Amino acid sequence: MTQQEVKPGEVLLQVDDISLSFGAVRAISDVSFDILKGEVRAIIGPNGAGKTSMLNCINGFYHPQQGTITYKGQTRSQMKPFEAAAQGIGRTFQNVALFRGMSTLDNIMTGRNLKMKSSLFSSMIWWGSAQKEEMQHRRYVEDIINFLEIEAIRKTPVGRLPYGLQKRVELGRALAAEPELLLLDEPMAGMNVEEKEDMCRFILDVNDEFGTTICLIEHDMGVVMDISDRVMVLDYGGKIGDGVPEEVRANQKVIDAYLGGGH
Amino acid sequence: METLMSDFLFFVEVLLSGLLTGSLYSLVALGFVLIFKASGVFNFAQGAMMLFAALSMVGIQEMLGVHWTVAFLVTVAVMVGLAWCVEKFVLGKLVNQEPIILFMATIGVTFFLDGFGQTIWGSDIRVMDIGLPDGVFDVGGVFIDQLELVAGMTAAAMVIVLAVFFNKTKIGRALRAVADDHQAAMSVGISLRYIWIVVWTVAGLVGLVAGIMWGSKLGVQFSLSLIALKALPVLMLGGFTSIPGAIVGGLIIGAGEKLAEIYLGPFVGGAIENWFAYMLAMVFLLFRPQGLFGEKIIERV
Repeated sequence: MTQQEVKPGEVLLQVDDISLSFGAVRAISDVSFDILKGEVRAIIGPNGAGKTSMLNCINGFYHPQQGTITYKGQTRSQMKPFEAAAQGIGRTFQNVALFRGMSTLDNIMTGRNLKMKSSLFSSMIWWGSAQKEEMQHRRYVEDIINFLEIEAIRKTPVGRLPYGLQKRVELGRALAAEPELLLLDEPMAGMNVEEKEDMCRFILDVNDEFGTTICLIEHDMGVVMDISDRVMVLDYGGKIGDGVPEEVRANQKVIDAYLGGGH
Repeated sequence: METLMSDFLFFVEVLLSGLLTGSLYSLVALGFVLIFKASGVFNFAQGAMMLFAALSMVGIQEMLGVHWTVAFLVTVAVMVGLAWCVEKFVLGKLVNQEPIILFMATIGVTFFLDGFGQTIWGSDIRVMDIGLPDGVFDVGGVFIDQLELVAGMTAAAMVIVLAVFFNKTKIGRALRAVADDHQAAMSVGISLRYIWIVVWTVAGLVGLVAGIMWGSKLGVQFSLSLIALKALPVLMLGGFTSIPGAIVGGLIIGAGEKLAEIYLGPFVGGAIENWFAYMLAMVFLLFRPQGLFGEKIIERV
């Protein structure tokens, strides 16, 4: 089985009946859903509903005990995270996972890792060409920095940046790999209104301009309903709703889960 | 006037000898820094790796009766194999564990290597002879040990190569990324396995070079793995994450302990050299816990 090119509107990622447990704890049970090429797909649900676990399954940090994941027409067996990245799945993390000792620029450059061809030995021998390649990637990274409006913090070690900016740098690092599917784990958590608006704009721009498919987890319902094409709702590891924002908003089970009525 | 002059020359000689011995400490410390920088693991086994590398090289040279360069190359292959095994059987099983767990695992590796090396190659003191000069230069009345000078230059060369490797190459950036955050590194497509093998190989090679230098000086013997302990105060001084720090730290420790031995030793009954380094490091810790060049950890709360 080989990967196929996926056209906009077709299924990019198909999750079939996956279940994941840690010992006796069931994080995900029998969930199926799909992500279409070019859409903004949201996963919502109360804390502990299995949202992050779902992203971890998709990019290979976790391996579900049951079910299959098909990406670009290829059903995968156990896949390592770096392989997922190589196939075009990028992501950010709930609790900002940046390389704290490095500058903004270096963090985003690390995102180019997969795109850089020169190996350890060739870069020792062909120093000149390795430098030239470095420059090309540097240019691409500068474009991302401009796009995200973080020129001023280019050289700042990211550990010193405020939280909102760290999240932005993390998005930049994920973008640097030119992902086809971008997984965003609570990209707006802990942000003030203004920062949230900025982040929304960036996400929509990425989706628009680069045609990047986006799957995001978010708590802020207003934001989710505004920017998503389709929303899936998880509760206690199971899927309780799926559809366009209006459908989900009207779904009784979803209302119960959020208001605590059903439990 | 005459005695003042010769006193001064003697001082310079002690200082130089101290600095050059210090560069040998730096070589050992470098191995620690490399692994710490790249995987956040304090590799207790660095000393054992140095001993193992030196033992293997001498052993292979004797067993096969080949020129030392051939033995060197074979040993390089052995160290690559060792790095592969460490990743495969030890670290690979411990991804995302606490640093202390990884540290304990390296203690295990230490004892294994100490035992394994001696099982294969025996525990006799071997002579490491790769034709390094062992005479002294006489520079205007100051005597410089040639072997120490070679060691100093080797250390300098390695630092330059490693600094470029870490800061200017793609893989260097990947190494630093892995040190900072395993998950994030994997998410941008870095293979932990590959990085760990590379970094343990490089640390093994640094250990090999350090082993050759120390082996030429003292003979290849079990106590070489104890020299690694001298690298600890060097690291405290220089910072655990800084390659230049390992060098400067080594020089300060080397010069400090020699000078202390000669000029302070007589007042406290001698043998200062054995503990001076640790004292110095401890005092230093009070003022700059992150070391001279270490990254200051700022924890947001």
